[in-house]
Amino acid sequence: MTSPFPDAAGRVTEAAWHADADLLASYATGTADPVVVWSVEAHLAGCAQCRSALSAHADAERLARNRSVLLVRVAVPGGGRMRRLLCRCGVPDHLLRLLAATPSLRRSWLLSVLGVVAVVTGEAAAVRYGWIRADRTGRLAGYPDPEVLAPFLLAAPLLVLAGVAAAFLPSFDPAFRLAVAAPFSGFTLLLVRSVSALAAALIPVVGAAFVVPGPGWLPAALLLPSLTVCAFALAAATVLEPRAAAVTAGALWALPALLLAAAHLPLAIVQPNAQFACAAVLCAAAAVLLARHDRFEWGGMR
Amino acid sequence: MTLNVSTAAVGVNGLSRRYGATQALDRVDLTLERGITGLLGPNGAGKTTLLSILATVNEPDTGRVSVFGLDPRQAAERVEIRRRLGYLPQELGYHRHFTVAGFLDYVAILKEITDRRRRAEEVARVLAAVGLEGRARTRIRALSGGMRQRLGIAQALLGEPELLILDEPTAGLDPEQRLRFRELLSGLPGDPVIVLSTHQADDLAAICPQVVVLLQGQVRFTGTPAELAATAAGRVWAADERDGRAHLSWRGGDNRWRHIGDHPPGGAELVAPTVEDGYLLLSQAAGAR
Repeated sequence: MTSPFPDAAGRVTEAAWHADADLLASYATGTADPVVVWSVEAHLAGCAQCRSALSAHADAERLARNRSVLLVRVAVPGGGRMRRLLCRCGVPDHLLRLLAATPSLRRSWLLSVLGVVAVVTGEAAAVRYGWIRADRTGRLAGYPDPEVLAPFLLAAPLLVLAGVAAAFLPSFDPAFRLAVAAPFSGFTLLLVRSVSALAAALIPVVGAAFVVPGPGWLPAALLLPSLTVCAFALAAATVLEPRAAAVTAGALWALPALLLAAAHLPLAIVQPNAQFACAAVLCAAAAVLLARHDRFEWGGMR
Repeated sequence: MTLNVSTAAVGVNGLSRRYGATQALDRVDLTLERGITGLLGPNGAGKTTLLSILATVNEPDTGRVSVFGLDPRQAAERVEIRRRLGYLPQELGYHRHFTVAGFLDYVAILKEITDRRRRAEEVARVLAAVGLEGRARTRIRALSGGMRQRLGIAQALLGEPELLILDEPTAGLDPEQRLRFRELLSGLPGDPVIVLSTHQADDLAAICPQVVVLLQGQVRFTGTPAELAATAAGRVWAADERDGRAHLSWRGGDNRWRHIGDHPPGGAELVAPTVEDGYLLLSQAAGAR
């Protein structure tokens, strides 16, 4: 053949050149160089003679293989707009696929949504039936009477923790053994799942913080405690059995929250001193996780 | 005999593992060669524990494991072992909403096949290998037991592993599927190390050049199927009457009694022992200790 490349104007003129048998064979078997493949395809689009010559090189076995690969690609769920958006934001496609195939994330999301709805409905019902006083404007007697918030403050980080625990506890992953025996880092898998479960659970919890009566900074003030409780659970799981780690983390939040509520100071659990304490625990948990993350590479979380 | 890496690709030395009061493995020494090794033993003998340790899923309490010269205790070497590993656990866990192709795609990502096109090719290849190509879109929970088992074998084959660990791969397969499974294993490219556990003595005799018998957490026999059968030579008899002194006796398809034991019944004649006979006598001896 004369030249595999189109002329300067980008046009391929009929009969200017034709792909020879060797070139068509290498194209048909997939052994041709990608640049050559590109130019052959550009040429084939406008040359009926080469298209019919190509059909002689079509390999039935290869076609059958391509067909079954195509069937597999159709059978693997593609994911919707959210996935395309995240893909465009630079999140690797295989990580998104991994997340899409982690059903415990749906459970995390459902758990936190249901939990938040239950707590908020509970508080609304309490106001409706007069168990909690409402002020004259009909709004919840909120910030001046912060005890209204005690159940929500207790539950919010626990709901986030429950969501994250559902994503990392091996008992929620039926394919756990397969995941452990695979080279994909167990710690990376754990982090990817936990971070996405954290995000999924934080949305309804923080959203509810806007709805319940309380200071305007409440939604922001819940972020650090929620993150800390989850990080503590992960760090503790490098030492304890994972379920025990999650329960311990929950208890470490519930105890001071209950004590402060009993002392009529429920908001203190998210006020500056507590935030500092949370930051300190978060740093310590991160250090433990970094030092001991190798534990997650064993199925030996016995 | 000097151990050559190519002939003893996988080795364990003094391996012990205890679960509470149960000693699952007791100072196990073993070398596995390229080709197929069959692991035979009763339930609770430690087969699954041994295989899960070889698959780097579990840690031994004591003892050493070497896979292709790599030490699973070292993080980097463990990952390298996992890159070359295909593992079928005894119970294949899967998420309820998975389709066949979706599940294999998921496992392929865990096996670091990140390119979508390559993953689809690899999934299509293993589906064809186990004869499930028409089931790509079926939900796993809608599959029959035998198909589910073949799906488990398919995921183990992803990435053309050099070490294939199969925990009871023929459980739930019908006779034809078992024959196809034998054909599949015999035709794998690259001469991988394959170790499989089974209760089926005929599977062993048919495809495993090496047999290991595990009893009460200890290796009691290593050799060829013929050598295992030969351990029962002179102790298997056929007779018209039953004899109470036999370790075990049953009436065969030919209506004659088959006796296994040291006391020949009256009018008995010696018959050629099978792998099963050898295994039965070994486990009887272990039980009597």
